Amino acid sequence: MDLHTAFLRARRGFREDAKLYAVAVSSLAVAFLCLATALLAITNLSAMAERWSRSGRMTIYVRDGAPDVDVQALRTTLAELPEVSSATTLSAAEAREQFVRDANVGGELAGLPADAFPASIEVTLRTGVTAARADEIAARVGHVAAVEGVETYRAFFQKLESLVLTGRTTAGIVAVLVLICVLAIVGNTIRLAVAGRRDEIEVLKLCGATDSFVRGPFLVEGALQGFTASLVAVVFLGVCYALLHAQLDGTIAALTGVRAAFLNPAVVVTLVLGGGVAGVVASAASLRRYLTV
Amino acid sequence: MSKRGPRTPAQAGGHETTGSRPFSFFRAGARNDGSAREKPILVLEDVYKYFDRDRPVLRGANLTIERGEFVFITGPSGAGKSTMLQLIYRKLMVDDGRILFCGRDIARLTGDSVPYLRRNLGIVFQDFKVVPHWTVAENVAVPLEILSMPQKVVRSRVAEALERVGLAGRGNDRTAVLSGGEQQRVAVARAIVTEPALVLADEPTGNLDPQLAIDILTLFEEINESGITVVFATHDHSLLEARPHRLVVIDEGRVFEARSGLQDWQGSGAVRRPEPTAAPVHVHTRGARIDADPTDVVQLHRVAG
Repeated sequence: MDLHTAFLRARRGFREDAKLYAVAVSSLAVAFLCLATALLAITNLSAMAERWSRSGRMTIYVRDGAPDVDVQALRTTLAELPEVSSATTLSAAEAREQFVRDANVGGELAGLPADAFPASIEVTLRTGVTAARADEIAARVGHVAAVEGVETYRAFFQKLESLVLTGRTTAGIVAVLVLICVLAIVGNTIRLAVAGRRDEIEVLKLCGATDSFVRGPFLVEGALQGFTASLVAVVFLGVCYALLHAQLDGTIAALTGVRAAFLNPAVVVTLVLGGGVAGVVASAASLRRYLTV
Repeated sequence: MSKRGPRTPAQAGGHETTGSRPFSFFRAGARNDGSAREKPILVLEDVYKYFDRDRPVLRGANLTIERGEFVFITGPSGAGKSTMLQLIYRKLMVDDGRILFCGRDIARLTGDSVPYLRRNLGIVFQDFKVVPHWTVAENVAVPLEILSMPQKVVRSRVAEALERVGLAGRGNDRTAVLSGGEQQRVAVARAIVTEPALVLADEPTGNLDPQLAIDILTLFEEINESGITVVFATHDHSLLEARPHRLVVIDEGRVFEARSGLQDWQGSGAVRRPEPTAAPVHVHTRGARIDADPTDVVQLHRVAG
């Protein structure tokens, strides 16, 4: 099969069946948009999970009115533990300031009094500290009189991990559904194109065209359908992301502790090229079934 | 990935005459058989074709066509003219016997090799088989695109072919807007654009009025004068009468051959048949009746009116 000739003939095919292909590409784009959106959600959930799993942190909330001496003694004791990387005290005012800075909220929330934020000791654990050991430390610290409570973030992290796992499973299911959509839509489009060009195919065969020469343009058309649809989906998602990002990023950061991110460039390239490959596969399957040359 | 066979000089854009064509067609990498030039372009040896086991369409057909010949194949509708041509371009397979194209048995070709056989043939049909929504040039260019010729060569060869069939300057017209005669000329141009060794015309005038039919026949004769062998199947007796070419009659699956056309037949009367049949055969065609004597002769008579 001469690729140049296949492209020229595929272009002629697109020209002749322009409406059919427009409908097919738009349908495929919706399917790819679902997949890209699922991947975007997974990307951000994974970033959150990564952020929280990597932190290995513990927040010890100090009881109101606890003497500074006790608090400093506790901090020193914690800092000397081999499992602890660092232990820093955070006053109520500093906690408020950090919230306003990290959350990027401003406005009314920035006007909250410092009393609304409890003083704390922020403990960073060394890498490799087991969950059981961290829980043991938290339990012992919890019995100290100056301590109001201890947050190890383990429950939140477990929920997040569960959410990411669910999201990944969902994305996998969506990917399979999208593949089925691509196979069905591209396959049926090619089938219609083959039926519409039956005379043309007969002429080609009588003039000495090989099977690959006849099939070539249809494969190119399938590839272009998949490629174009996935590209349209990614571009559309990118535009939507850009529009919403400026408005929602601060809130998301405040809620999750991580800033929203778009799809990794490698994922984008894989998605777009994968669309093309899926188009070729769908077209080949359809030709195998419906094109008797 | 290409399975193209080695190009002939003519296919590559040269102007070598058809008579010296090397016929390297069957598969990529196939050896050029120099002795093929010395052999008849087409030989049918005891060819049988059955669609119904009891009534073979062709029964023991024997025929030899030399290079540069113009051969009429005639017979009543259903006699097996189209079947014979379809066996030659391998749309159908012989059930018994051999068909040799340039000395090669085409019945033994694998399916993958058939396209390379067809690249050495030009085929014209009664229903034109042109793609109506393509332009004239796009239709004619198809065999050249299959050969992956450069666009520049394609354009010049298409223009040359259109000029030969009297459609110079019509390349950009949509084929659908052309008349029947013009569409058939497009089909002829497509058949000859690669300068094939053999042109098979299957009732090419069947959809045309008598004057256009004569024009198309003349066109085929001009093609034949350039050295291309032409096999012209028709049941139109007015065409057979008009030109003194070699005439082959197919009737009830058997092939009867005359050295020249209808006019000579009426003068000399008969041709030897390979095997006698039990009963006389009466073949009615437009303008004449062909009587096959059960002993060994075929006679043609004008039909009144």
